[in-house]
Amino acid sequence: MMFQDKLINSHPYIKYIIVTAVFFLVLLIDLQFIIFTSRTINLLIRVVYFGIMALGFNMLLGYAGQISLGHAAYMGLGAYLTAYFSNHMGWNFMIILLLSGLIPMALGIILGLVALRMERLYLAIATLGLGVTGQMIFQEWRAFTRGFSGIRLERPEILGFAFNNSRHFLMLITVILLLVIILTYNFSRSRTGRALSAMRDSEYASQSLGISLFKYKLLAFAASSFYVGIAGSLYAYAERYVHPSTWGVELSLDMLAMVVIGGLASIGGSLVGAGFLVLVPRLTAATPVLADITNMNYILTGLAMILVIKYMPYGIYTTIDLKLIQPYLMGRSGENFRYQDLKKESDS
Amino acid sequence: MGRIIFIQNIIGGLETGSLYALAALGVVLIYRVSDVTNFAQGEMAMFSTFVTFTVWTYSRAAGYSYPYLIAFFSALIFSAVFGYLIERVFIRPTTESSLLGKMIVTFGLILIVNGSASAIFGTDSHYLQRAVGGTIIISNLVIRPHSFFVIFLALVIMGVLFYMIKYTMFGVAIRATAQDRETARLMGVNTIKVTAFTWIMATIMGAMAGLMIAPATNVSTGMMADVHLKSFIAAVLGGFTSFVGPVIGGLIIGVMDNLVGYYISTNWQTVIVYGILILILIFKPYGLFGTRPQKKV
Repeated sequence: MMFQDKLINSHPYIKYIIVTAVFFLVLLIDLQFIIFTSRTINLLIRVVYFGIMALGFNMLLGYAGQISLGHAAYMGLGAYLTAYFSNHMGWNFMIILLLSGLIPMALGIILGLVALRMERLYLAIATLGLGVTGQMIFQEWRAFTRGFSGIRLERPEILGFAFNNSRHFLMLITVILLLVIILTYNFSRSRTGRALSAMRDSEYASQSLGISLFKYKLLAFAASSFYVGIAGSLYAYAERYVHPSTWGVELSLDMLAMVVIGGLASIGGSLVGAGFLVLVPRLTAATPVLADITNMNYILTGLAMILVIKYMPYGIYTTIDLKLIQPYLMGRSGENFRYQDLKKESDS
Repeated sequence: MGRIIFIQNIIGGLETGSLYALAALGVVLIYRVSDVTNFAQGEMAMFSTFVTFTVWTYSRAAGYSYPYLIAFFSALIFSAVFGYLIERVFIRPTTESSLLGKMIVTFGLILIVNGSASAIFGTDSHYLQRAVGGTIIISNLVIRPHSFFVIFLALVIMGVLFYMIKYTMFGVAIRATAQDRETARLMGVNTIKVTAFTWIMATIMGAMAGLMIAPATNVSTGMMADVHLKSFIAAVLGGFTSFVGPVIGGLIIGVMDNLVGYYISTNWQTVIVYGILILILIFKPYGLFGTRPQKKV
């Protein structure tokens, strides 16, 4: 008993590793005995790459308090870069993945420069325009994106092992997700992460403490664009097809919905949000009455966003964590369990 | 010939520009009074236009004498009710949320309204007639009376609004609420009523913009996407802190949009207009007519 508490307290992200290990075990068993249908596997793949995307967006909205409605364009850029590099250059998977993150990151820094001059409302509108522009460029720049015909590509290959089986691919991206989670966890608790949260809570107060808004706003945009670019790359590999209609403002709204519904500034929240947005269309399609209504999943997602804002402003995951899981852990070990994810989100 | 085409573009620009101005004014009105940036304005306008279209089709099929007139007034009535309902059901319960929370509520509204529109009316695209048909030709200059009707309608609505804001007691209440909600309440202003009224007014303005743009874009669930974005750009260009700014911003965007579309490229029209906006914002971050808001630390 004591040993477990000590383990969790001294290595807080051990819980993510344990959950991933259990998930991996299930996947290994599934690989042998085929428990899940291939639809379920595809659904899980979507949850994983959307999870990485939501983590990136949460870095921006949840940790740094900046808003963007143009991140779908960065994700699209990541996806197109991956398709281009793997079809025309034939580079190594890891190099392509990194480049698909780094190039959107460079553009993200430019967006950060624009954001420096603007307040939240103006920023939302400017990035909305950016999102529309990005999608337009994907449609028109045929030499790079092939316009509306879209690009096909193959699943990645590492050291001669091709991940053509979706189950293998799911394992691969689960490992990437775990790496991203650990990175995010350490980042959010580093000096930089704390500075981002301080900036979110009050720009004036953090400036007076010597936090450079210039540096940290750029950093927030850079980091989130990097994550989102990687998610785009994984999207391209997972779906094996990239089309401009995917990268509209709807996707940016989905990112926002995931982060808001799951939980702002929370790793588990990002993943829960991604799961929510992936599962809702699937569940409504399976429910008899709701399935007949076109776009019922939009209505449900919108309602969920508003209800979450009204009744649990910290998101589903964080609320459940606070109300159910933390009291249980605290009651058991008798000491105050540190909970740092939760900070009141203020009107800066 | 070149000059005539130029004039035609300017008139076309003023036509769409006055619609952007109407929609932008609606957004700014809500923003000033209730601190909510209504990102769902375009979707709400789309929904109202669909209702208008349905009324128009039915009254035409039933053989009434003035189907468009009936549809026009039903648009006014419906959008007023619709605006009130949205405010009552979604906005009023979330007044206590943070600024970001309020913004997110309207993002949720986008999904809800858009989803319900395609659930109720389907995803097809439909034709809706112009308010005034026909064309006038003055020595090669082709003018649609519809353009003048649109500009006239926008001027009337804006005129009524500005008169109210400036000269009536209720307008004073609106300005007081926009300036300081708490103090206005202490002074006996019914801020809840004021907020509800601004939502009704803004929804009507959006619905009118939707109804007037519909002949050009057809009635479909995505019809307002472009108008909506441009009206936001107009509001940003003019500045969210003034009521006149968005109107002038809307006209500028409309004319510029048409000229860029004709003389440079229709494919890159939106991109170029947006690029110009970003440039302006970098030098004047609060818009052409906006002032830097005083902030409490």
